Amino acid sequence: MADTINQAARKGFLVDTARCIGCRSCQVACKQWNKLDADKTANKGTFENPRDLTPALYNRIKFIEKETSGEVSWLFFNERCMHCGDAGCMKVCPSPGALYRTNDGIVAYNKEKCISCKYCVSACPFNIPRYGADDKVSKCHLCLDRVVGGMSPACAKACPTETLKYGSRAELIAKATAAKKTLYGVDDLQGLGVVYALEGPPEQYGLPASPHIPLSVFLWKDVIKPLGILGFWGSIGAMLLHYVTIGPKKVDDDLDVKEDHHE
Amino acid sequence: MSDYIERFNTSERVLHWIVTASFFSLVLSGLGLYSRLFHGYFGLFGGGQNAILIHKISGVIFFFSSIYMFLNHKKEISTFDQDDKLWVDKSGGYLSRDASHFNIGKYNPGQKLFALCIAAATAVLGVTGLIVWMPLDFPRWIVQVSLMLHSLMFVGSIMFVVVHVYLATIGNPGTIEAMLYGDVRKIWAKKHHPKWYKEVTSDNQ
Repeated sequence: MADTINQAARKGFLVDTARCIGCRSCQVACKQWNKLDADKTANKGTFENPRDLTPALYNRIKFIEKETSGEVSWLFFNERCMHCGDAGCMKVCPSPGALYRTNDGIVAYNKEKCISCKYCVSACPFNIPRYGADDKVSKCHLCLDRVVGGMSPACAKACPTETLKYGSRAELIAKATAAKKTLYGVDDLQGLGVVYALEGPPEQYGLPASPHIPLSVFLWKDVIKPLGILGFWGSIGAMLLHYVTIGPKKVDDDLDVKEDHHE
Repeated sequence: MSDYIERFNTSERVLHWIVTASFFSLVLSGLGLYSRLFHGYFGLFGGGQNAILIHKISGVIFFFSSIYMFLNHKKEISTFDQDDKLWVDKSGGYLSRDASHFNIGKYNPGQKLFALCIAAATAVLGVTGLIVWMPLDFPRWIVQVSLMLHSLMFVGSIMFVVVHVYLATIGNPGTIEAMLYGDVRKIWAKKHHPKWYKEVTSDNQ
């Protein structure tokens, strides 16, 4: 089941981090639309809250503190599912339809088909999927129930600074490129559905410079799996070949032993 | 005088078939997890979630019974003498039609190697299986490596089992009886395991 993607039809986000003021309207709007409970959090001496994505938090603002010549400033980063063009979660998911791609290129999911194996947690290049008390996958689905009705996702709708822009992925990228923004995720993993205009190197935001599906997943799905199937049938073939060429070790036609036996 | 001698006693045979049953239960319930190509196998268990449950139960049974089997035979399979070396040099006579005679004890080096490999695979599959069972309790890279090793060890095991089944059935007629009724024909024992045959028969006298 190859995951092919129609690049021209793709919808997505352009996240212009320079415009973000860290108001977290996106977090709140997401919770409201998706009816997600509040998580109990602890104050750890930063404005960042919560400190990580949870089963009830599909997107959040990371507050990255940066010190330049004695002055502290923030970088704000909207962390969420990237809706990868080549998605690690979909590559490992053993339950067809649990994680699926919409015509818009969004990586959506159906909890009823999720079998709770949690392989997607290990295969995600960005460590995004979470499992809650229901033991089912949860992550940003780009407000699938809104976008099919022609509305924009709740977070983009709520964003007061147009940091989060939703629309045709190609158009958003073209505009940002024309504005000479430094973009992240245009080509990685066959293009991320969420493209970022960053103000510094990706590492500063905790992003991998060149994101990729984990090597172990590649080895499992693209090396061990085909070689394993070949090996299984190959060993059956080898045994049959042995039987018809060299043949079995029959005890009865071994004369020495037989004579011995009749002593 | 009987034509037969006992090769495996009742508890050894029952243990072997517990290992076998749990192994094939693991294969059938795990195939759908190995690849979506085998998604249809989930149907045998009424869906993926049930298959995972059966995989976990079978996994525990297989792990402990297989390790127990290894411990029972640890001494017999960790020996290697001059006669074994001859067997290895001639590939046990399996690559030629010429009649071959090796002075082999209860197990030949191939059987010993098989036992060691299955024990090692059991250990790896058990440990990685436990990690994959509760992936949120381990660092992501450990779970990633475990998933990969689990699939690799599965492939190795299933190929070993194909060879094992062949050699124990049509490859060496008369062998399967040892695991069914426990007794093998004396003529079989003299041909395949003469040193063992002498040991057993002299004990009885």
